[in-house]
Amino acid sequence: MAHKILFRPTFVLTLTLHKTPISVSYHPFRRSQQQPFSFLSTHPIPLPPTARTTSNTHTHLWCSNFSTTTTVEGSEKCYLYLTDEDLMRQCEMDTFKSSGPGGQHRNKRESAVRLKHLPTGIIAQASEDRSQHKNRASALNRLRSIIALKVRKTVDLDPYSPPRELLQILPPKSSIRGSDCGPQIGPNNPRFALGMQALLDLVFAVEGSVSEAAKYLGLSTGALSRLILSDDSLRKEVNDLRASKGMKPLK
Amino acid sequence: MKLTLSSVYRPHSFPKFLYCSSFGTLGRRFCSSALSSSPTCVKPQVPLFLRPPIYSTKLCDLKKWHDWAKGVSLSIGSTFVQSDNGADSNMLCRELKWLMEDAVEDHSLGMEDDDRVKMRIDIEELYSLWTQRVQERRPFQYVVGCEHWRDLVLSVEEGVLIPRPETELVVDFVSHVVSENEDLRSGVWADLGTGSGALAIGICGVLGSEGGRVIATDLSPVAVAVATYNVQRYSLQDKIDLREGSWFEPLKDMEGKLAGLVSNPPYIPSEDISGLQAEVGRHEPRLALDGGIEGMDALHHLCDGAALMLKPGGFFAFETNGEQQCCALVDYIKSRSGRSFYNLEIRADFAGIKRFVIGFHQ
Repeated sequence: MAHKILFRPTFVLTLTLHKTPISVSYHPFRRSQQQPFSFLSTHPIPLPPTARTTSNTHTHLWCSNFSTTTTVEGSEKCYLYLTDEDLMRQCEMDTFKSSGPGGQHRNKRESAVRLKHLPTGIIAQASEDRSQHKNRASALNRLRSIIALKVRKTVDLDPYSPPRELLQILPPKSSIRGSDCGPQIGPNNPRFALGMQALLDLVFAVEGSVSEAAKYLGLSTGALSRLILSDDSLRKEVNDLRASKGMKPLK
Repeated sequence: MKLTLSSVYRPHSFPKFLYCSSFGTLGRRFCSSALSSSPTCVKPQVPLFLRPPIYSTKLCDLKKWHDWAKGVSLSIGSTFVQSDNGADSNMLCRELKWLMEDAVEDHSLGMEDDDRVKMRIDIEELYSLWTQRVQERRPFQYVVGCEHWRDLVLSVEEGVLIPRPETELVVDFVSHVVSENEDLRSGVWADLGTGSGALAIGICGVLGSEGGRVIATDLSPVAVAVATYNVQRYSLQDKIDLREGSWFEPLKDMEGKLAGLVSNPPYIPSEDISGLQAEVGRHEPRLALDGGIEGMDALHHLCDGAALMLKPGGFFAFETNGEQQCCALVDYIKSRSGRSFYNLEIRADFAGIKRFVIGFHQ
């Protein structure tokens, strides 16, 4: 198995998500036409489980400076299975401060955090919170999410055996999903990223054909479409792939 | 007065030891109750974001204030950066945003210029607060009365060091150490020179509800009062014991018993104090910053005490001024305490500056 990272060098992905009910944002002047205090919408938010719940703050996630189809070998390739601590060890953390002696010398609330995942070059950043600690946790969650979306594994289709994480995000009506999988895991669960990664691996393996992928998962095409559409970032990845193959987007 | 008392009481035929002990107890009680009503007993301020929203102002007036404050911030440009590496306009504008968050109560009603906004502070006071921030370089954290540190929001005020992001790492070190050592997790930890109580509260969190307790000391009565307030806000009064006094002085009962010892002591060399960023040098307590000629007075004292206070296998972590102090401190420990410590390590902060010395007691 090899990881293929399927995007272009210095590709920049800027997630500008719209206001969602999930983000507990702060809109004292929401109805005002001029939005004089539009910056106030960036209220500190609780740690988002993944990037898709990160509210309307400016969330820049981008990847840079590595070639297409980089192959990463070795035991560290299943990044999403790593604990936060181990994943953090693979990252270079940059707190946007370089000058001066720091520590007690300094009073600057530079709490923004930028994580660079060295094996893949993926960068995740968080700055909406006043605490560096929280920004680090947010950035790490974002990193997991973007790894799930961007790092592809080749999948053996003959025979295909979906990982447990994928089975857990499938709706109960799937014919290959055993009753031991527990309740269906939805997009708000941090473990959704693992299932999403495996699902994207499969969709890529069948070159974007949802009906083909649905067969492997014991689902109807409609049911798998609904699952893909339930998550904005997942839908976008699938549709980007389909567009590159000249297929119509899922709606 | 004391003389008169004793001359009155001495002739009585009480056995002398009884007289002494009972009077001693009385005397102490009397003193402590006198202390609590004297001016040295400090009442901590309530951070802005926790004050009741009893004020209201017209939205247009709030906008007017905001535009004024933003204009003031923009006029600063990079002046402070050039003079003492202080905040630039961007940073001030971010702080302004945070001040609004703390001052304005959340609501999502329709907003016309004449609508009233519920506030935790009078609009006039907002003008003076922002003037203090920009003209007097009063630290933003003192302006709003709090600092966001790890997952905590800690009350701070003049007289108490504002906890720094670098220091957050000390809690991570402790978390790592106790994750593989149940004995240390359930032991007694000490945070010396606790200031706002940040390290004590952070460590209490990683020890968990089943874990040990933390003793936090500080020489400053203001710090003890503010730390007490923070400890109460997180309902940790049963787990954190605050003691007023210098370094190990209030810990005499803990000799050889501590599972862990942490401190962010004053470590700035005295001659550097005058050149500090204005927010730090002019407003934060010198007691918490000035580490003596080389900045290592307190660090030396802490290392000497650590050998005495830690139990076998006990852990320590101290923050320092940087690489030079880290190396000097490791040398000092090796030469002074010989083999009392093992696994001595220097750890860097997130900016890559060698910042901490950690190790274990034999």
